[in-house]
Amino acid sequence: MFRHLPFVLALWKTNLLSAMEYRVSFLTQMVGMMLNNAIYFVFWVIFFARFEEINGWDLVDMFFLFGVVATGFGAGTYLFGNAVRLSSLIAEGQMDYYLSLPRPVLLHALASRSNASSAGDFIYGLFSFGAAVFYTGTFGGMMVLRFALGCLAAIAVLISFLVLVQSLTFWIGNTDLLRRNAFNAIVTFSLYPITLFDGTAKLLLFTLIPAAFIGALPAEFVRRFDLMQLVQICAGSAVFLFLAVFVFYRGLRRYESGSAIQVRT
Amino acid sequence: MASREVQFISDEGCVRSPSATAVAGKYWAIFRTQLLNSLAYPVDLLGRSLLIVLFMWIFMNLWRVTYGATGARSIAGLTLADTMWYLMMAEAVMLSKHELSETMSEQVKDGSVAYLLNKPYNFILYHFATGLGDSVLAFGGNLIIGSAVVWLMVGPPPGIAGWVFAFLAVVLAWLLDFCFSALIGLSAFVVEETAAFRWIYQKFLLLLGGVLIPLDFFPGWLQTISLNLPFAWIIYGPARLFVDPSLVRLGQVFLQQGIWLAVVGGAVWVFYRRAAVRLAINGG
Repeated sequence: MFRHLPFVLALWKTNLLSAMEYRVSFLTQMVGMMLNNAIYFVFWVIFFARFEEINGWDLVDMFFLFGVVATGFGAGTYLFGNAVRLSSLIAEGQMDYYLSLPRPVLLHALASRSNASSAGDFIYGLFSFGAAVFYTGTFGGMMVLRFALGCLAAIAVLISFLVLVQSLTFWIGNTDLLRRNAFNAIVTFSLYPITLFDGTAKLLLFTLIPAAFIGALPAEFVRRFDLMQLVQICAGSAVFLFLAVFVFYRGLRRYESGSAIQVRT
Repeated sequence: MASREVQFISDEGCVRSPSATAVAGKYWAIFRTQLLNSLAYPVDLLGRSLLIVLFMWIFMNLWRVTYGATGARSIAGLTLADTMWYLMMAEAVMLSKHELSETMSEQVKDGSVAYLLNKPYNFILYHFATGLGDSVLAFGGNLIIGSAVVWLMVGPPPGIAGWVFAFLAVVLAWLLDFCFSALIGLSAFVVEETAAFRWIYQKFLLLLGGVLIPLDFFPGWLQTISLNLPFAWIIYGPARLFVDPSLVRLGQVFLQQGIWLAVVGGAVWVFYRRAAVRLAINGG
């Protein structure tokens, strides 16, 4: 796996240089997304100013939650930008390009694009984590380590989930609607306190729509260490990663070439 | 650039303006075409409406826990059932909005605006007619599915007056939202990237418009600010009328919507005329 690291780094560098060619657009989207997230978070500030807590969750928990989700989501969709449009690449026969090169197809396809707005999510997430640390007054190397681990888990599960859903394109054709709904569902659920949901719903959030692995679980782990949660986070990430790679490559056998002439410069 | 309303050559060879009926008929035809186009993809329509189930389910969990924690039967005059029906109407309006700003902005950026500007209709009104055709069906789908879900959760909806008043207010709300979308879309004539404006506008609607939380739950000072901004009259106005219909409230919503329509609509008109003059189209 690590032997592909220089290749992936080169892709990310190319994406960044490409984005810098349109730096006004890049900066506008980045700052716009930060403002967008901040305005959305005001809802929780107003909510907790009036109701103080819901089932044990308070505003500081929400800062941790937004810290992990925004950082993980931002880093994931920036570094693996094609994860949000993989179904189009498959349906339109655009995987030909990646198949013709001696590199891992999935990794190459995912990392070939970056979203400028995701950089705004990433930076906003760091600010939110900073605010959480400020309010709790507990800062240390271990917490930063837990935050980094939580974000990595969030990236792994989010990207795996998106790949899994969109890999269905190999079997059922157009999954655009499914992709949009699945994307909205996982982002929405990950931004709400898990204590709102009962047993059945919680099971759903750990399996079919694994939003708990992107938001609540790593956020609680970042706030205070819990060995059981660490095991859950690592196991969840590993399972979803394995499933995504397995299903994608099984589906790839059914891929039909677009036979389109594509020029990439 | 002058308006491109169609003109007819009279028998005497003079150019005469078309009648209001002819103009209305033209945009009615555009609206109907878009309506039929949307009807041709029922699965897509149903899929768009599924999102409201997700949001209502989350809201139900959030507000059931919140009402339970406070122990109060009503908060700021709204019971749990009122809050859920309010949120259903707010989400139905929000989810059925047509993303005109994105369409217009793309047309300006890729140059396809040129093909629309030389047609015998007004660019702005053309987009309003197509957007309305799309929104009407989406609103219907969201309302049917959303109502079914909320009815199962908290019981029957408000009376008939709430439906009638809310529908009237929703039409003006769409018009006001369209004006904002047009302003954002037309800003592509001036700035390179308009996505950020769109996101921020949507978040203003979510928060200050009252999609996520009824404005009645805000602290007094923020409620005053929100009610003096146009966003509240796109979402909060129709949704609040739905659960608490009264002629006084209807009058207040219409008045506010009318004032903001004049302000924002005027801005769109001025901006459109200036932007169209600046337009440079290259190639053929």
